[in-house]
Amino acid sequence: MKKNVSNQNKAGRAVEYKETLFRMIFLLSALVSVLSVIAIIVFVFAKGLRPFFGKDAYSFLSFITGLKWDPNNNVFGILYMIVGSLLATLGAIALGVPIGLLTAVFIAEIAPKKIVSVIKPGIELLAGIPSVIYGAFGLGIIVPLINKISPTGQGQSLLAVICVLTIMVLPTIISLSESSIRAVPKSYREASYGLGASKIQTIFKAVVPAARSGILTATVLGIGRAIGETMAVMMIAGNNIGGLPTSIFSKVRPLTTNIAMEMSYASGRHQDMLFATGVVLFTFIMLVNFTLIRLTKRLGNEGPLR
Amino acid sequence: MNTKNWNNRKMKDGFLRSLIYLATAVTISILFIIIGFILYKGIPGINFNFLTRNWDNKTTFVNVKADASKAGDGAEGYISSLGITVKEGDKNLVITKIEKNSAVHKAVNMKNESYDLKKDDTITKIGADNTEDLSYTDALKLLKDSDGTLRLKVTRPGGGIVPMFVSTIYIILLSLAIAGPIGISAAIYLNEYAKPGRILRSIRFAIQNLAGIPSIIYGLFGMLLFVQTLKMQYSILAGSLTLSILLLPTIISTTEEALKEIPRSYREGSYGLGATKLQTIAKIILPGALPGILVAVILSIGRIVGESAALIFTAGTVAQIPEGLIGGKSSAATLTTKMYWLIKETGDLSSASSIAVVLLVLIILLNIASKMITRQFLKKTGNG
Repeated sequence: MKKNVSNQNKAGRAVEYKETLFRMIFLLSALVSVLSVIAIIVFVFAKGLRPFFGKDAYSFLSFITGLKWDPNNNVFGILYMIVGSLLATLGAIALGVPIGLLTAVFIAEIAPKKIVSVIKPGIELLAGIPSVIYGAFGLGIIVPLINKISPTGQGQSLLAVICVLTIMVLPTIISLSESSIRAVPKSYREASYGLGASKIQTIFKAVVPAARSGILTATVLGIGRAIGETMAVMMIAGNNIGGLPTSIFSKVRPLTTNIAMEMSYASGRHQDMLFATGVVLFTFIMLVNFTLIRLTKRLGNEGPLR
Repeated sequence: MNTKNWNNRKMKDGFLRSLIYLATAVTISILFIIIGFILYKGIPGINFNFLTRNWDNKTTFVNVKADASKAGDGAEGYISSLGITVKEGDKNLVITKIEKNSAVHKAVNMKNESYDLKKDDTITKIGADNTEDLSYTDALKLLKDSDGTLRLKVTRPGGGIVPMFVSTIYIILLSLAIAGPIGISAAIYLNEYAKPGRILRSIRFAIQNLAGIPSIIYGLFGMLLFVQTLKMQYSILAGSLTLSILLLPTIISTTEEALKEIPRSYREGSYGLGATKLQTIAKIILPGALPGILVAVILSIGRIVGESAALIFTAGTVAQIPEGLIGGKSSAATLTTKMYWLIKETGDLSSASSIAVVLLVLIILLNIASKMITRQFLKKTGNG
């Protein structure tokens, strides 16, 4: 009898041991994300901030305010890239949000079910298309078109970047806006109809305002996607070596492009400076991320953020 | 009733309504133009060879045993001693037909490994004579008269996507093997174990941040840590490790959604029967969440297939089937990175579009698969 009890204890202890072991494994797996974020920040910042310290340091001020990028002559200025990135993002959002929001309204409020079942897979496909394909499309269609109307005779321009980025942020904006519009309670609509409002009035005066925080989240996500986009933009931006953009037909060189274009052959200070560009980009992304986390908290939604 | 007001309202409504239709039309036509453009440019380049061949031409020396006693004549260019038919190519001989019992099926390369010749291979050197120094008839004669072991220099034409396809699959498998278990375990921790507090907050914060980091930053990080610091060089392992981090947010949040769908009563029932927490997770929760986990896997595959910025500086852009996980021979281009490389280095939009067509087909298939799984899942749980 006694032996039996101790056996049971042993088994119990083995079970307990296993439970704890797996608990630890699960916890460690969850901590991998935290470690990764820390590692990314430490590695990228350590390398990216190196050229600004120590002997032979490059002035951070002339880096952040410089208007020329000429690695061969030790000139590294990225202000015009920051401006390019911001203008491209701004343009894409200014075009993409209205188009995306109205499309979302169509899908959620107006279209019959049958049409929705055709459009939605299409938008999902648009979201899944790799950015390189968007780049090829921009290079094959948008750039030649702009070539025809541009006074500079150059198709690769800020305008081309804005067009392609607009297309790329559309799926994000549409699907998030749509789900937040659908989440507006039915009673809002009914109350609006009851007050004698038409369908369109109801949509724009009652439903869309009620869905605004979801739409705002979609916008911020779109900003993040636009500012971080690399491959598509690289093929159509023109990538000039200096100078602020003066019109939408000017060539630009967004931050991401600067990194991707020269990383394959850069070394020494040049490579460090590309990482420094990465640090600046990262800072912008962090701003976007923090805004986003704030917003989702307000939404009370801790769901997926893609 | 105020007619003016009424008309005004009608006009406004009509205007806004047409704006809505216009925006939708823009969205839809963009989709059609993109797909139409890719198909228009890419379809002409897609053929059997494109799908089955290597990317680069491959030149090999082979030894074949010619048998001059085998007589027989056929059309011009038929070489009875080898059992093949050739035609004149660009300063070489192109094999157009190989008999079933031909000697070239038993050809061996210089390392004495079997190297089976195929249709469309070109012969550029017969014995010690380069075909470019010979006239077509002389070259034919030389081949026809040869007896015993004959050394041929054979070039197999490239232009196909097989290496990139294989590399893509390798990278998918490797990344999922790394990120899958970690991501699923993390989701289990977050949904089943974690209590509100500092740890949970920081983990969620980290995941949200990871989701927002653009892939070029992942590429920089992967290059710095895996390629340079850990000395993996451009390799599929470095690429896959980089992608694994990039995939974590997708896998974790999708799996978590699936875990949340499992009703509380299932867990309580399991505990009530005396099962431990781990047993409940392994026997009740995970099987129930399987469709959701599958969707996470499919979403991840979609991301890997489309990823380029994070891979260029970690896995490289060489079109070869990788040998090994790290080191010089394991560098590999996926379909997408090769497409980028083609546009940037050669400006060859047509070949790039042909690859794009393959990518589009893959993406569409993945979308359909995830739809079907979700639908099946909804039917089963009756939530649809």
